[in-house]
Amino acid sequence: MAKVYTGRDGVMQLADATLAKVVNFSLQADLETLETTTLSDNLRSYTPGISGYSGNATLLYYKDDNDTFNTTDLLNSLYKTGTTGVSGSDTVDLTFRWVDGTDNNDIKLTAYITSASIGAATGEIVRAEISFQGTGALSTASIS
Amino acid sequence: MAFPSLTPTQRNFETGDYPVKTYKSQSGAEVRLLYGNQRTNMKLSLSYANLTDANSELFLDHFDDTNGTFAVFDLPSEALAGWSGNSDALDASGSNQWRYESPPQLVSVRPGVSTVTVNLIGVF
Repeated sequence: MAKVYTGRDGVMQLADATLAKVVNFSLQADLETLETTTLSDNLRSYTPGISGYSGNATLLYYKDDNDTFNTTDLLNSLYKTGTTGVSGSDTVDLTFRWVDGTDNNDIKLTAYITSASIGAATGEIVRAEISFQGTGALSTASIS
Repeated sequence: MAFPSLTPTQRNFETGDYPVKTYKSQSGAEVRLLYGNQRTNMKLSLSYANLTDANSELFLDHFDDTNGTFAVFDLPSEALAGWSGNSDALDASGSNQWRYESPPQLVSVRPGVSTVTVNLIGVF
């Protein structure tokens, strides 16, 4: 059945658990292209280079009835005590899903949180904004 | 083994100079002696960006075949591709050959893709 997807169909998961109060998310795939144009050519030519994935998301800073924050694991990937900083194991498994009834269209990747911001402003709801950089291959790409 | 017949992505050419010796007196007068009628010391730098590793290896093999900077060789027409002037303008008089001035430089860009730069010097 024909369907136009909207924000109501979007789901973002962290380690296969759906995150609450996600306002938006965006995922981008990039391919680096390497130029192979030579001196006698009139038109540019390229060969594929490295591809990768990155994106960002905005979540409401939300505490549920069990006193659990939806942003804890995301923010704690960067907001850390101690002097060791971010290590190679500080990755998160993110799933981006577009739901159509019982059908799920998923993109799943492992990523590092590369930026995380949170603040407070008079008259506004507190939001956490995160950016991530995918590492390695997608584990799922069932979007068609 | 001939120099690889590949078209470079960048070419830098220095014309060299004629063998001139200059003497200056204390008065400031200058005397120049011309010791030859051939321009020498032409330098040619060729860059080949984003080649396959197989094509990149051709330059390394050719460098071995010429015993490094020892032997001289001719350049294929592809080396001057894109130059619409007379081809001998990028030589001394069309009769010179080239040898490696330094070993080829190879940069691995990604798996299977490399960039090679060769620096040549013209000799008779």
